[in-house]
Amino acid sequence: MLKMENVSKIYRTDLIETHALRKVDLHIKQGEFVSVTGPSGSGKTTFLNLAGLLETFEEGDYFLDGQNVKGLNDNQLSQLRNEKIGFIFQSFNLIPDLPLFDNVDVPLRYRGFNRKERKERIEHALEIVGLSSRIQHLPTQLSGGQQQRVAIARAIAGEPKFLLADEPTGNLDSLMAQQVLELLENINAKGTTIVMVTHDDKLAKRAHRNIQIFDGQVSDLAKDSSDILIKTA
Amino acid sequence: MFSYNLKLAVKSIKDRPSLTVLMVAAIAVGLGLFMTVITMAHQSENIPLSYKSENLYLIQLDNREVDAEDVPIQARMIDMTYQDSSNLMALNTAAKEQTYTFTTNGILNVEDENIQPLRSRLTVTTQGFFSMFDTPFLYGQAWSKQEDKNGDAVIVLSKETNEYLFGGINSVGKQMRIDTRVLTVIGVMDNWYLTRKFYNRSYRQGNPDQAYIPSSFAFKSNLPRMAGFDCWSTTKNSREFGNVRLDELLNSECAWLTFWAEIEGKSKLEEYKSSVNQYIENQKSFGRFPRAKEKMNDYFTNINEQLTFVNSRNSTMGFLKTVAYMFFAVCLLNAVSILLAKFMRRTKEVSLRRALGAKKSAIMFQHLLEVVIIGLMGGAVGVVLSYFGLQGMMSIRLYASDYMLKAKDLIPYYHLDWQMISLAFLVAIFSTILVALYPIWRICNVSPASQLKAQ
Repeated sequence: MLKMENVSKIYRTDLIETHALRKVDLHIKQGEFVSVTGPSGSGKTTFLNLAGLLETFEEGDYFLDGQNVKGLNDNQLSQLRNEKIGFIFQSFNLIPDLPLFDNVDVPLRYRGFNRKERKERIEHALEIVGLSSRIQHLPTQLSGGQQQRVAIARAIAGEPKFLLADEPTGNLDSLMAQQVLELLENINAKGTTIVMVTHDDKLAKRAHRNIQIFDGQVSDLAKDSSDILIKTA
Repeated sequence: MFSYNLKLAVKSIKDRPSLTVLMVAAIAVGLGLFMTVITMAHQSENIPLSYKSENLYLIQLDNREVDAEDVPIQARMIDMTYQDSSNLMALNTAAKEQTYTFTTNGILNVEDENIQPLRSRLTVTTQGFFSMFDTPFLYGQAWSKQEDKNGDAVIVLSKETNEYLFGGINSVGKQMRIDTRVLTVIGVMDNWYLTRKFYNRSYRQGNPDQAYIPSSFAFKSNLPRMAGFDCWSTTKNSREFGNVRLDELLNSECAWLTFWAEIEGKSKLEEYKSSVNQYIENQKSFGRFPRAKEKMNDYFTNINEQLTFVNSRNSTMGFLKTVAYMFFAVCLLNAVSILLAKFMRRTKEVSLRRALGAKKSAIMFQHLLEVVIIGLMGGAVGVVLSYFGLQGMMSIRLYASDYMLKAKDLIPYYHLDWQMISLAFLVAIFSTILVALYPIWRICNVSPASQLKAQ
């Protein structure tokens, strides 16, 4: 599903060169639930941005669902993000003056689905997250946990190949965090690959596999030793 | 996607109404002044009878004395003598039609004693004037060639004069007087707005003539002649020609008539010039046209050429245009800042949309649509402002003329026609898109990753 080979990301200014990621080798299979942990400044966000095709990289190759994304232009990357990736953010990133229906509708609009299909997908996604009765509510009328569930609905409405979750429970209390995590587990159980960045070790352990990033380098702590793929630069 | 983007654009416009209003105001105010000036320029610089203006020629023959100074500019050249005017009209030339004009004045009155006599300015001309210059008629028609020849006492009234004297009815056949002379109304002209009154070389606006009479009648009746007489030095007291010594004037070398010829095409013009040159050569044998051919300042200029010169001398309009352009540019620069503020507020939403799969072109289209709507709104308000601007400019013009001019005569020169309204909207949309290019480029190139990380 997601394969990085020797991927490096360097941020350059006039004076400083920062190696945010160094020769990362990583292979995530279809259907896996992977947590990504590491201290602040370790390169987790950079990894997430690269995985989500929100940033480009200097070296190496990145294969997403079998396609090498290196050299793709902006339009191709946008299309790939739309079709293959669902994003879940720590701060939900819902559009506050759009009702839930329209929020979930956003990625589907850019996919080119017709009205009927969009409606079906939105209603189905909101049903999965248990918010189909609130379809015309605004995000501000919901609790934090509910907002994150809407964000999840938006992420899964297009049936992406994998979900990228950046601290999905970071702004939630423990009860809501539990609910969100269970929802993610249910989605993963149906075959969707999930890559989740988290600071919470307890949440990290709920994943099938944990990847640690430290100083731009990845170490992969596979739960099952047969999946071990550890490579450091 | 169009309806979706339209919905997003409208939502954005409603989102922060204060910024939208500021943006519309910036466009509208600049556009209002711009369109006020451009409309005035358009209406005053428009070539009258543009569909045939290049065929209507002012003919000026240099019959001056040998030692007269060179006149390199057509606008400074004198008019034509009566001798040459009547001779050219009698000649068989390539011109489709020819005519000459001068101005007279008199008191128009009718039998109805309730109608006060009207001190008037009249154009004295020949029958060809009306067909050459396509004057519109409300009632009746121009006098005939025979009536011209006979010097019949007939008169063509302007619409306004007919309304004053006869209450606007079809007055053809009715009798009236110029001073003590009785004339019969043969035609009533409709409103005839000329951007410039070219036929008497005044190039004035808003100063229509009140009536038109045949030159043969005017000579027969010795009506006053309001003209400048450019005579040889041997002619004494030429100013008297305005009222007396008509026979002497008609046979003199004094130039005082504005002579026009309608000549279709360059080859006919050359043919006409050749006929005129032959005529001049013939006249030289009578001692006329004493200047050497190479020193003669003969001019054959059409309306286009004349008005190009007249408009180029209008420094006031040129100054106003410069001010209007500069002011509009300043307003547009302000609009750039407002748009930047408006768009950059939405970087997070745009970044989100980009992350969820929106291409840059989709973001660009959404914002361009918003900008076009704002442009249309700015255009609409700008048109309203330019209407009031034109009314204001007209009031200033009336004031400057000590109210000698009438508002209704000036309206055509301060009038927003559909062409100008369309131009206003086009300018509004185009300029709004232009100022939006940088803000749209900025917002499309914001890195989504930098905006989406939790705060």
